[in-house]
Amino acid sequence: MKMLVVEDEQGLAESITAYLSKEGYRCEMAATYQEADEKLYLYEYDCIIVDLTLPGGDGLQLIETLKKRSASTGIIIISARNALEDRIKGLEVGSDDYLTKPFHLSELNARVKSLIRRRNFGGHNEIHYHEIAVQSLSRKVFVKDQETVLSRKEYDLLLYFLSNIDVALTKVSIAEHLWGDHVDSADSLDMVYSHIKNLRRKLIEKGSRDYIRSIYGIGYKFGEA
Amino acid sequence: MRLLEKTNRIYLLFSVSLYIVAAFGMYGIIKWLIYDEVESRLLVEKRDFLVYIHHYDWKQDSYFVENKIEVEPARKPAHFKETFKDTLIQDRYSQKMLPFRQLTFYVPIQDMEHRVAIRKSMIQSYRLIEVITFTMALMLGLLLLGTYWFQNRLSGRIWQPFYETLSRIKNFDLAQKQKLQLPQPEIIEFKELNEVIQRMSDKILQDYLNLKEFTENASHELQTPLALINAKVEQLIQSEQLTENQTHWIQTIYEASLRMSRLNQGLLLLAKIENRQFINEQVINLSEELQEKLLDMEEVVQYKQITLSIHNESPFTVSLPPVLAESLITNLVSNALRHNVTGGEIRLHSLADRLCLSNTGQILQHQPSELFSRFKKEGGSSESVGLGLSIVKEICDNYGLQIQYTEINGMHTFCLSQGS
Repeated sequence: MKMLVVEDEQGLAESITAYLSKEGYRCEMAATYQEADEKLYLYEYDCIIVDLTLPGGDGLQLIETLKKRSASTGIIIISARNALEDRIKGLEVGSDDYLTKPFHLSELNARVKSLIRRRNFGGHNEIHYHEIAVQSLSRKVFVKDQETVLSRKEYDLLLYFLSNIDVALTKVSIAEHLWGDHVDSADSLDMVYSHIKNLRRKLIEKGSRDYIRSIYGIGYKFGEA
Repeated sequence: MRLLEKTNRIYLLFSVSLYIVAAFGMYGIIKWLIYDEVESRLLVEKRDFLVYIHHYDWKQDSYFVENKIEVEPARKPAHFKETFKDTLIQDRYSQKMLPFRQLTFYVPIQDMEHRVAIRKSMIQSYRLIEVITFTMALMLGLLLLGTYWFQNRLSGRIWQPFYETLSRIKNFDLAQKQKLQLPQPEIIEFKELNEVIQRMSDKILQDYLNLKEFTENASHELQTPLALINAKVEQLIQSEQLTENQTHWIQTIYEASLRMSRLNQGLLLLAKIENRQFINEQVINLSEELQEKLLDMEEVVQYKQITLSIHNESPFTVSLPPVLAESLITNLVSNALRHNVTGGEIRLHSLADRLCLSNTGQILQHQPSELFSRFKKEGGSSESVGLGLSIVKEICDNYGLQIQYTEINGMHTFCLSQGS
């Protein structure tokens, strides 16, 4: 899976690249409009992550040119511009998702995964992790071929975990993923705890191993110990 | 009271009193002059009379003009002083009483003491006084009216640049970002006034724009470094070799940067609302949206064991840009949730002209009037940045809505209604 990260802030580009590389993607970086334009002309990418304000040009322009050349590339916009008009424009020119800075890398990763799932299999896809299987179209979860009924938020939580295997997820990023970034009260963190407790119980009941580990002071990690 | 009205009133009051004093004064002077004249003539006549009786003898028919002279034998009283006095005497023909000035003195005629009264008719003099006084009064009155009218017109014209300036200042609105344009009047004082106001308003406008721009730019430019901090911290926490202390520090950094970014987004949103950067207003059923949002927050509601009651009698619709409607609702709902108590209550009551959201909660620590101020936090929850209700207020102020806060027995209610 080949990806291009178009971001002029060097440190941020490096972080994104490092994070996504760990997920097994081959990532390249471009810091300016020209550089990105050149790379997109020379190579094919499965997914690009674009900042809108770039030295030398507008990210939207870049997306438009890319869409004309290769329509199959997945596009995620990351921007400090939060205006609805920008979002709408971004989606109009053909981007698949829009993330406002600052964002959680785990959230970006989840969006990339979801985008790739949609791209590759048109949404008809199953995610497998050992004995757990998720049908993302019907939103059904199976443990050892036995269906386990999850609430909407528990399902979202599981999918978020499955997109970020072996990654330490902060409680805040989980809360924001589940309820949007306006949930900022201390309660939401307790809610995260109770949702995780329920999810873990439901999975274990059906015979799954316990994959959810809490990391002291930070949050949770999903994966084999 | 307007300035012109005030000066005119003072002017009028002053000139009328001056006019009355002058009229009385003039009447007095003319009267005195005429009396003086009449009296000196009487004295002359007295001398003529004395000369006459010295040379000739006095007979009753010596002088035939009626009432002109009266000679009677009489004894001169003690302490007699020769005096003038006004008297009324009946006219022989018209039977009218006519005014006379009379000089009385005693003189011996043919060795007998006589009282002599010589008189002069005042009827002509009185008429003269009347005519002169009337004419003068008329002239003065005309003069007074004339100057009053002139003064009125003149000050109206002279002060006109001032009123012009005033009306332009009144219409000056910072938010429109248009410079205040003032004329250049001829009068130096007004010219200076205009120049000073012009300079001040230019400076204010400039500062205002700079400040807005700064807030917006600063907030915007901060987003990227914040994204960087977040990303690096997230990478850092993936490391397995962190000690407990390090984890704690990282967590603190992470939370602080998150809070900062929330703060930042809030400020940016406020700046944009003020700048009216949101377009495409749409008619939105706010009651329905609010209801959906409340149901969306189901988990939080359940978690805090909050009872939700919704009375949707008739929909409350507003015209708002969708993104702001979303922000309005989100902020109201999270406010109602954040300040709620475990086992509390949230009530939504929707009428055609009012939309009220009530929640149970602690008694306010601040004044209710400060509730909508920026960075006023209740309950000291550090996760909140204290901008939510300011955003709500700002949206309402900019899009013709009114928001009211009331508290009855621990039930805090926010009501939206269409502004006047």
